[in-house]
Amino acid sequence: MADHTVQESNDPEKQGKPEFLLPVEDEGELRKLLVPDPENLPATPSSAVETNFVSYFAPDFTKPGHDQYVYRHANGLCVVGLAPGHLAFKDEGGITAVDFNVGKSDRSGMKVTGKRKKNAQHFESNTAICKVNTKADSYIVRCCVKGSLLEVNDRLIKQPGLLNSSADREGYVAIMMPRPADWLKVKASLMSGEEYAKLREVRVLN
Amino acid sequence: MSGETEAVSLSGTPTTAELAAVSNEEETRILSDAIRSLPPQAVKDLLNSEVCIACILRLFGFREHFHFRSSISSSMLHSVLGESEHLEHYGILAGSKSGEELEVQQIVCRMCLGILQYLYRNDKGILVQKLSADGLAASIDEMIKQDGHEIDGFSLELSVPPVLLEHDNAVWSYMKKRYGQEVGIAEETSKCVSVKDALKLAITYPIENMLDVKSSSIPSSFRIRLTYSQTKPSSSMAKSPGETNGSCKRRKTGMMNDVRMSFSVLVSCSFCFCFFAADVNGVPVRSSNFSGDQKSSEPCNFPLEKVNEPYYLALVCCRTPIYIGGRYLKFSRNVSQTRWIIDDERKGESSVEEIIGSSILPACQGDSYKFHAAGREDIDVRMLGSGRPFMVEVQNARRVPSEAIIKETETKINSLEEKLVAVKNLKLEVNNGWGLMHEGESEKQKQYCSLVWISRTLEDEDVQTITASKDMKVLQRTPIRVLHRRSPLEREKIIHWMKVERVAGSSQYFLLHLCTQAGTYIKEFVHGDFGRTNPSIGSILGCRAEILQLDVTDVKMDGF
Repeated sequence: MADHTVQESNDPEKQGKPEFLLPVEDEGELRKLLVPDPENLPATPSSAVETNFVSYFAPDFTKPGHDQYVYRHANGLCVVGLAPGHLAFKDEGGITAVDFNVGKSDRSGMKVTGKRKKNAQHFESNTAICKVNTKADSYIVRCCVKGSLLEVNDRLIKQPGLLNSSADREGYVAIMMPRPADWLKVKASLMSGEEYAKLREVRVLN
Repeated sequence: MSGETEAVSLSGTPTTAELAAVSNEEETRILSDAIRSLPPQAVKDLLNSEVCIACILRLFGFREHFHFRSSISSSMLHSVLGESEHLEHYGILAGSKSGEELEVQQIVCRMCLGILQYLYRNDKGILVQKLSADGLAASIDEMIKQDGHEIDGFSLELSVPPVLLEHDNAVWSYMKKRYGQEVGIAEETSKCVSVKDALKLAITYPIENMLDVKSSSIPSSFRIRLTYSQTKPSSSMAKSPGETNGSCKRRKTGMMNDVRMSFSVLVSCSFCFCFFAADVNGVPVRSSNFSGDQKSSEPCNFPLEKVNEPYYLALVCCRTPIYIGGRYLKFSRNVSQTRWIIDDERKGESSVEEIIGSSILPACQGDSYKFHAAGREDIDVRMLGSGRPFMVEVQNARRVPSEAIIKETETKINSLEEKLVAVKNLKLEVNNGWGLMHEGESEKQKQYCSLVWISRTLEDEDVQTITASKDMKVLQRTPIRVLHRRSPLEREKIIHWMKVERVAGSSQYFLLHLCTQAGTYIKEFVHGDFGRTNPSIGSILGCRAEILQLDVTDVKMDGF
């Protein structure tokens, strides 16, 4: 389903009544509007991410094999995380731990408040957000986009396995808010999902 | 602009019958008698000091409307005060009843600065002299008719500079000292009728007459505002700024006009009246004790200063906002609730605000409108069932629409060709439905129906699990789609109940009916928003869940 985009209206078809009453005088009329026509339903609909975000990829970001993704929403916010081709996934046992204590501060400790996003730290695209550890190695995950760091996914601390199971959704790493000018600059260096899929021979949501 | 304003009618205003009973001759006789009853030396003293007859009468407590409506003619004044006096210069202050030529250089009363002489400067700075209160009422009448207002009542609001009170005090003190013994007022507190009260008495009747309405004790929504001031009124006083296409953009900080608001609080206690008035800069200055015994911080002395120019008068006739409320339904997935334009491009086909507002505005013949609703839905979400409560606020309506006209407007909106929006229960809101509506937005439960897809087959167990949960708590981090303009917070919301309705012919699609606390993000509850809403349908069923469409089926609110 799209965030504020056009949706085709479905043809109504009368279905069996549910066990409870809908709160309106003409229940029949309302039901006609609500129930979809199964013929019009796609087998696999596009996901919320596919509909509302444009996917970009940064293969070998600052280091070979450090592939990251940037999902950009129409409102300018960017969700960053590990792309399917990242080396960390190739290590046996996958990712075992995530540590946000990098560089000067613990990224999971920051508190951004208010509509104006006070206290959000401004970072460069190569600033480190966190470290992901596998049995063998550890890898730095970086901002990818220059801007304010709004949020880190602190769930990864207790559930690092999210990166293994769904790095492209629940396993996201952080949310960045770049300035429009900064975004345009970095956009030029990113590639589309299609190109990335070809490059790494993996499937990506596009 | 500073002054005291008062929108409440005085008690003791004569009824229309009583007023009508006083004929012209009787009026002259009453005025003459009144003047005769005062110590002649006091009257001459005041006239000599350039105080007009109306101010003389009100100083001594005369408070009938005809004392201030028009002045006694110079010939009558002559006869009252005696032939032997030189009355040429007195005559000018007496004014004229009808047709007599007035001197171009009018002497302005030093006490009321022309207000009760019906002498003022208009908004273009031109000096205007009305012969009586009727003349001023006629100007008001003309203004109202020109603007096309249909009214059945009015509230008169007068604003005069606070310095006039000091004039009253100064003159009263002087009178007490010099003539107190004669008039028996040596021990008394001031009986002086204020300029405002006198003016209100004088013009209420002629206005009522000309407009064929009554000024009622309950403030009417139609305001006639007279503002007297020292300096030229800025042009922004009459209009509110920044309106486009008849619809006001919602302002975050509320309604702020360029007009500087004058501040006045009338506090009455058992011993005295205290007026707190603001000076030109809106800063509370001083209080004057009406009894005149206390000295004000800047004492005025008798005789008062010479006045060369009368006050400016700004006349504004307008109606305070009226509210038309009801419930709306939205059938389109391409219509936003309010006008939505980004980079000069409109999002969506139209807006609920414009569809409803553009029909209501002409029905009220107003200047502009504002749209308020109890909550909102996304552009691609339909609003069905009982509908969402809303109110349209109409600025300066030229007429208050009757029930018939409102019914007509409702039908008109519902018969529009495109059938994007419908309205129900459209009516004029008399009591402040405002509070109700905001309550509706933040407190009332809402009911939804969403079309959900999951990444595996829906089992009976799943249906059980979902249906069984009652008042389930979910923690929602601010959804990414609104995070750019809302605070990053974690909000706990309650899903009161859920029901699953399978879609025939599909194993992975189903209709999810749910009833939630106000402020719950439904879309995020279904797809999880990167796991930032917990629990979500996906997390409950242990698979991926997506939402294809959403409809609001009920906004649980009474009274609309």
